[in-house]
Amino acid sequence: MAEPRPVVVEELTRRFGDFTAVDRVSFQVGRGEIFGFLGPNGAGKTTTIKMLTGLLEPTEGRGWVAGLDVHGQRREIRARIGYMSQRFSLYPDLTIRENIDLFGGLYGVAGTRLEARRRWILEMAELQGQEGSVTGTLPLGFKQRLALGTAIIHEPAILFLDEPTSGVDPVARRRFWDLIDGFSHRGVTVFVSTHYMEEAEYCHRLALMNRGRLIALDTPRRLREEEARIRGSDPSSAPPPSLEEVFISRVEREGGAVLG
Amino acid sequence: MISRTRLRAMARKEWIQLKRDPRSMILAFVLPLLLLVFFGYAITWDVEDLPLAVVDEDGTQVTRELTDVLQATGDFRIIHRPESRQVADQLLIRNSVRGVLVIPPGFTVRLQGGRAAEIQMLVDGSDANTATIALNTADAILGRFARNAVLQGRSANLPVRAEPRIWYNPTLESRNMIVPGLVAVIMSIIAAMLTALTIAREWERGTMEQLASTPVARVEVVLGKLLPYLLIGLFDVAVTVTAGMILFGTPLNGSVLELAVYTLLFLTGALGLGIFISAAVKSQVLATQIAMVATYLPAVLLSGFLFEITSMPAVLQGVTYLIPARYFITVTRGIFLKGVGVEVLWAQGLFMAAFAALGLGLATRVFRKELPS
Amino acid sequence: MSAPLSPASLPSGPEVPGVPAQSSFRHRVALRAARVRALVRKELRQLFRDPKTKRVIFVSPVLQLILFGYAVNTDVRRVATWVVDHDQTPESRLILDAFTASDYFRIVGRGDDPSAVGRALDRGAARVGIWIPPGFARDAKAGRAPAVQILVDGTNSNTATVAQGYAQRIVNQVALEWASRGSGPGSAGAALTPGAAGIDVRARAWFNPSLESRVYNVPAVCGVIVLLMALLLTAMGVVREREMGTLDQLLVSPLSAGELMLGKTLPVAAIAMVQLALVTAVGLLWFDVPFRGSVAVLLVAAILFILAGLSVGLFISTVSNTQQEAFLSMFLFILPAIILSGFLYPVETMPDFFQTLTLANPLRHFLEVVRGVFLKGAGFSDMPFQFAVLVLMAVGGLAGATRRFRRVMG
Repeated sequence: MAEPRPVVVEELTRRFGDFTAVDRVSFQVGRGEIFGFLGPNGAGKTTTIKMLTGLLEPTEGRGWVAGLDVHGQRREIRARIGYMSQRFSLYPDLTIRENIDLFGGLYGVAGTRLEARRRWILEMAELQGQEGSVTGTLPLGFKQRLALGTAIIHEPAILFLDEPTSGVDPVARRRFWDLIDGFSHRGVTVFVSTHYMEEAEYCHRLALMNRGRLIALDTPRRLREEEARIRGSDPSSAPPPSLEEVFISRVEREGGAVLG
Repeated sequence: MISRTRLRAMARKEWIQLKRDPRSMILAFVLPLLLLVFFGYAITWDVEDLPLAVVDEDGTQVTRELTDVLQATGDFRIIHRPESRQVADQLLIRNSVRGVLVIPPGFTVRLQGGRAAEIQMLVDGSDANTATIALNTADAILGRFARNAVLQGRSANLPVRAEPRIWYNPTLESRNMIVPGLVAVIMSIIAAMLTALTIAREWERGTMEQLASTPVARVEVVLGKLLPYLLIGLFDVAVTVTAGMILFGTPLNGSVLELAVYTLLFLTGALGLGIFISAAVKSQVLATQIAMVATYLPAVLLSGFLFEITSMPAVLQGVTYLIPARYFITVTRGIFLKGVGVEVLWAQGLFMAAFAALGLGLATRVFRKELPS
Repeated sequence: MSAPLSPASLPSGPEVPGVPAQSSFRHRVALRAARVRALVRKELRQLFRDPKTKRVIFVSPVLQLILFGYAVNTDVRRVATWVVDHDQTPESRLILDAFTASDYFRIVGRGDDPSAVGRALDRGAARVGIWIPPGFARDAKAGRAPAVQILVDGTNSNTATVAQGYAQRIVNQVALEWASRGSGPGSAGAALTPGAAGIDVRARAWFNPSLESRVYNVPAVCGVIVLLMALLLTAMGVVREREMGTLDQLLVSPLSAGELMLGKTLPVAAIAMVQLALVTAVGLLWFDVPFRGSVAVLLVAAILFILAGLSVGLFISTVSNTQQEAFLSMFLFILPAIILSGFLYPVETMPDFFQTLTLANPLRHFLEVVRGVFLKGAGFSDMPFQFAVLVLMAVGGLAGATRRFRRVMG
């Protein structure tokens, strides 16, 4: 049996009352891919991620994560994915070790495996020897890596990151992305939403969202090339448009506001 | 110098926010009525229809008359006539009755023979208050019965008698005691909760810094925040008073104007205190909780609203002198029931004026870091 | 003959942690238990790490009990009394002595001017005024049965009712004594049958012979405090996580709504039981409240009651997005719950409509059990109705709260 595609979405829609937060969005994500989600605030990125992670029930449309239906198999999905949100979601009043052990317990990671994972997370987050410190006092960059570590304590094949680096300084952000890249090389699918254009460059493919709709989906390079073509400039002489320019003009053509 | 434009802008902003927040609206307008209905209707210490068991071991015409008289007063309701005292004891344990009257054999003979006829009254003393009232009532009824039974209509009586007269609340209804006190309790809640909610919110949302960057002065902020709530408070008092008079027939014997003045003083102090607390802790949750503990609880427990201050231990009595609601409740009861005014309540007035000044002072001072004077 | 398939030769698909492909029932239960255990451990760690929380949990109930225990007091003793004796005879002094001797009245002032009594009552300096009119002793001897005027300030209706009753009893006792001894002022001309002392009411108060209201109120305060804390910890615990964003992190884990609920409520239930034990101990040792019943009965009732309270807390947590909302919802629940519980005011004197409402209040039934166990030594068979209702509320409440919690969180 062929392994199912990590994420398949067809016409996925979510409405809150009269407001349509996500409007008939369709795409697929392949194994090991870093799939970026770009768009202004309120474009529907977080809502889409919440539907894929089982936090929100879709109003219409279909979707599968790891071959499991987002309508009926939300609990099964949760066991196979890792999730880390823009809001720092470790418990600030617990120690580093206590946080790791909590999520280990929740994901059924115990015994020698837990010990191994704990060691791995501490190493990855460069927090060896500090297991007893209270998490709330850590610098943001460390917290971010620790949160990532606990989110993947169960070694999921698919990772959802909702604006994981907001507020983190560029150096820490760079190191964070090195980690993401490493996961991708090992076959982990990473689904990430972001505001930062330089982060978008790291993604294998980018999905642009605006007002709940998917307005573009391609590799960063092809998006830039297409933008250059639309502008009619000569790709050999003029500098190619940056992703930021692509983003702004795309959204403006759609008639949306650029807030992000 | 206070600018009217800025003051008006502040007050209007506050009013708009209030209007748009459904929870604040519930607090401001629904809660007072809810409290009035619950306290007014549900709370009463008026003992009537007390379930009683009678063990009549004498079983004569006289004892039957006696129980009839007891039943007829409406204070007691005889719901069991068990055969033995043992059965009656069980009824008491099971909470089926609150008292047992035991008429021993030979009661009638002794009574008619002019000797002291003994009756046993067992009451469920667990609720001491009800038990005391029940005992006193039974004592009075049985005393009257004995005189009638023995004297057979002769005009003579005991050598002396007591003639109680109840002032201010002749029918001794709990409601007349509750409603005036409730005015103070409601004011405490409104002041504490609303200010705690709205002021702390400014910090949580960062709008206080925005305000600080405008030329608005401390006094203007404090007054601008106070005014809308003062209006709401006065409105709530008016509603409570009117509803109390219409629903419960509570008399308002004193001057409405004086009531309004005292209310203003109390509200100013309480609102000032609320602003001070929420400005000091800067968190809505913490502010509400502190405000509740600092104003609402004392207003209910330590103000004499329901519980006599004189029955408290000396230390606690000392503490009550620091509770503004204590003075305000003396004032509301005085104006409502006694019909007295400032000629009697001047001391309370002075204290409450001091409280208002303290509240305003604290509220203004607490902004000194953020805002210019 | 084919080689047996060894586990090692099984195709190793993508690792699916947490949920093994072929999980036995026992294995699933073990995983569930591990998840709940992890959550419970975390809850307890959070609660006990913060010294502020620790104080709120263990110190504040005791302080509250002491404050409430002293303040919530309906005993009428030493009522401030103003006396005007216009007769100034041995007989009038005898009457006043009887008032002074009782613990119920405390003479705060004397005067010749009857209007002084009115002023004292107006000012609130005295709550009761006693006026013995001129010619009192003479009239009594002449058989004209003069009256001792008792003026009572009715603003506190309860104090007034009780004080008036005491005053009447005191005067009647003196009168009965004079009449029966035949030596008092009434002996000369009173037409009373000699020695007809009437009915002698021998009062005995069961369960609380000295009729102290504290004995009745303190056990109830324990119940109220525990309910408050259980509500606060449950509702706030869930809503705080929602505000902080950590709830989402829990919800994307394999933790089910039911497990989340268990993990959140078990620690609270345990803490509530400890608190109950603590305040009960303080009630017994500090306030000398008698405990006549069985600990087992109290324990069963407490567990049922705490479960019912937790359901309310859970329900509130599902309708509140912020701690502020949760706090207000709690306030709106707890206020009527206390008023309609019989905590301060007897249920049977309420209007019928409100009496019916009290049936839906778990606090009402719990208080009846607590008071029954403490003061009367009552057992299950004495309170079958209360226990039946508590069981119903605990089971029904939990089922309802679980359903709603599942729907909102799942």
